[in-house]
Amino acid sequence: MAAVALRFSGAAVGYRGAAVLRDVDLELPAGQVLALVGPNGAGKSTLIKAALGLAQVVTGTAEVLGSSPVRARGETGYVPQLDVLDPDFPVSAQQVVLMGRYRHISWWRPTGRTDRQLAAEALDRVGLADRARTRFGVLSGGQRQRVLIARALVARPRLLLLDEPLNGVDATSQMTILTVLSDLAAAGTAVVVSTHDLTLARDIADVVCLLNGRQWAAGPPQQTLTAERLREAYGGHTVILPDGRDMLVEL
Amino acid sequence: MSALFLEPFQAPFMTRALIELVLLALICGPIGVFVFIRRLSFVADALTHTIFPGVVIGFAAGGLDGIFVGALIAGLVTAALLTLLTRRAELTDDASTAVLLTAMFAIGVVLVSRQSSYTSDLTAFLFGRILTVTPRQLGETAALAVLILGLLAVGGRAFLFRAFDPGGAAAAGLHIGRLDLWLNVIIALVVVAAVRAVGTVLVIALLIVPAAAARLLTDRLGDMVIAGTALTAGAGYLGLVISWSASVGYGIRLTSASAVVLVLVLAYLLLLPAGLRRRRRAVPR
Repeated sequence: MAAVALRFSGAAVGYRGAAVLRDVDLELPAGQVLALVGPNGAGKSTLIKAALGLAQVVTGTAEVLGSSPVRARGETGYVPQLDVLDPDFPVSAQQVVLMGRYRHISWWRPTGRTDRQLAAEALDRVGLADRARTRFGVLSGGQRQRVLIARALVARPRLLLLDEPLNGVDATSQMTILTVLSDLAAAGTAVVVSTHDLTLARDIADVVCLLNGRQWAAGPPQQTLTAERLREAYGGHTVILPDGRDMLVEL
Repeated sequence: MSALFLEPFQAPFMTRALIELVLLALICGPIGVFVFIRRLSFVADALTHTIFPGVVIGFAAGGLDGIFVGALIAGLVTAALLTLLTRRAELTDDASTAVLLTAMFAIGVVLVSRQSSYTSDLTAFLFGRILTVTPRQLGETAALAVLILGLLAVGGRAFLFRAFDPGGAAAAGLHIGRLDLWLNVIIALVVVAAVRAVGTVLVIALLIVPAAAARLLTDRLGDMVIAGTALTAGAGYLGLVISWSASVGYGIRLTSASAVVLVLVLAYLLLLPAGLRRRRRAVPR
């Protein structure tokens, strides 16, 4: 039995003592992929931030890699939503990836050849070895997302959390990202992905967690992505069904 | 022609002014880039004003030599206050910064208005006296430059990460509050270093304009630091030459610090079209 990488027990998570997501009970073993699914404002990003110790666990408990979320940060990787980053920021793809090495380098030591080599390998893994010196902001959305994933990879995390990593990315980037995530899981890394795409959740996840203000279901995709569960969680929202059709679900 | 550019520096006070401005360029170049990428121009501007009461109290207590200590204490206190206000207050960052700026500046004006030489003191505090810089003051600026660049060298990587992606930096274990305090303290030290030379009002130009102009030239942080430093030093030299020539050659009173700032702004305006062209070419694909 694989060790549990992420566990929420009876948890309510939020900010400044106010819960925005309740009744979270889930476990993610090492080497598995968890998809967080739900409409906008469902609490997907908040749950990811709670796993990183950036949002508060108001009640219940959160355990990350056998420790508290804050203590586990050294072994946790995070890929934020792309739209929170300034595309005009004067930084190259290589500099962004090197940020993932910062916590492994003493404050007084400059980044060295080993760090740059690891950054180059991470960029190569996401298919962007030739774009190392390109300014981050002039890359396409999909390429920028891959750079952020390379930044997470270079820190060699045991748990990787990605917030909407496939939003607005091109087909090439999507394929590369899914391959990387699949390889990571096969190598024993636990992966958490938030997404609106139910087809994707069904295809890549071992565990799906259906959220909308609270946890409506958690378990294997075939048990969670059912019409009944989706209707409960999404009432009145448009969702993409696993067969690719759009559907307006009403309570 | 060479006499025009070299003659002013035969006067020792002009040479000292140039050395002071080059020292300020060495610190304002790199720090200005971090102020620019963190979008802290308003916070930096606030720090230049919140230091004002410390400058006045320091002057009242210890004369010109007291300005340094007064500014230093006020700078460190207000750097901590600004960090606290912008992180904890229910007000927006801008509003809390503006409240502190206006409150501290008003206190400074009240204090300086109690001095007998009110007008000339106020002018000196606001716009500096670059031509009266003493060798001892040069030593103090050099010591502050070493301290500031040392603090930046240690924190620079973390500042970059925090500026680019605060959420990612926090997730990686960086303490955002401490980093913000650290950078605000550095900015306060820069203001302290520059305040006697260029005054509390014009120091903001040394922090912001060179970095903004450098951004028009390049996308690379390292190159921005070099360009910003060179621009500040070049503007310092040219500004001194222009103010000397205006005063000595034509009898026009032109304060040196103002001339330096005007040269910097002119450089920015000249670079603006090139920068806009570069931006148009670099539209994300």
